[in-house]
Amino acid sequence: MSSLPKRIIRETERLISDPVPGITATPHEENLRYFDVLLDGPSGSPYENGVFKLELFLPDDYPMAPPMVRFLTKIYHPNIDRLGRICLDVLKNNWSPALQIRTILLSIQALLSSPNPDDPLANEVADEWKNNHDKAIQTAREWTAQYAK
Amino acid sequence: MSKIPRNFKLLEELEKGEKGLGPDSCSYGLSNPDDITMSNWNATILGPPNSNHENRIYSLKIHIGNNYPLEPPTIKFISKINLPCVDNSNGNIIPSKFKTLQNWNYNYSIEILLLDLRKLMADPANKKLPQPNENEVYNV
Repeated sequence: MSSLPKRIIRETERLISDPVPGITATPHEENLRYFDVLLDGPSGSPYENGVFKLELFLPDDYPMAPPMVRFLTKIYHPNIDRLGRICLDVLKNNWSPALQIRTILLSIQALLSSPNPDDPLANEVADEWKNNHDKAIQTAREWTAQYAK
Repeated sequence: MSKIPRNFKLLEELEKGEKGLGPDSCSYGLSNPDDITMSNWNATILGPPNSNHENRIYSLKIHIGNNYPLEPPTIKFISKINLPCVDNSNGNIIPSKFKTLQNWNYNYSIEILLLDLRKLMADPANKKLPQPNENEVYNV
């Protein structure tokens, strides 16, 4: 395996020594650019008390290119699709090399608190979110209880 | 070069397949759009022109194991076809008779497999092989 850039080493060390509350990111031993992530559902959201598993990969051109991230735990959210793909501006056009793994994971946690049904990735979920809000929140709670343990 | 993990490589392949960014002569996507492991795929190959496959559309199934892309997928024809690398009892592609599987490389993809199969269908040695009736499928 090619040597790991200093920036990635520093970020990884800090994730472990000074973890973000509610988020753990652990690199795979055989691929230090590939992380297992556990993310607590934010309190006050329908994802509260859930623990969500994600995977994150730092491509060769990181930090010029954003990390690749997706949910492995099923989640009912208008900006996350059935395969766990996430629609979030900082993972695409608004990525900046000044951002880091921890800021990206915090942005994803914030997305759970404030879904954006006007820029949906999962259209059926977004329609439900806008037109039948109470039921959507209830479904999100049920999925959290069922899958995010 | 660092190696892209299985799931992120498959997401890239899927995006290309879903958006139709690949060649017109083949298509591919998940068998079950909810399958978070992305293990089972459906594919089609459009028969190459100037061969007995012309104007036919062949369906295939592909299984992606946990060690992809270190290990190649397994791939089989659903539509009946007469081709030396295909087991004509069940449609399975025999890796020892298909170079792309035999010499599998980490950088290959589902699309490369499909395009290389199509090249074999158009190969002078194979293109005039008698073919089963169109729309016949393997019973497995």
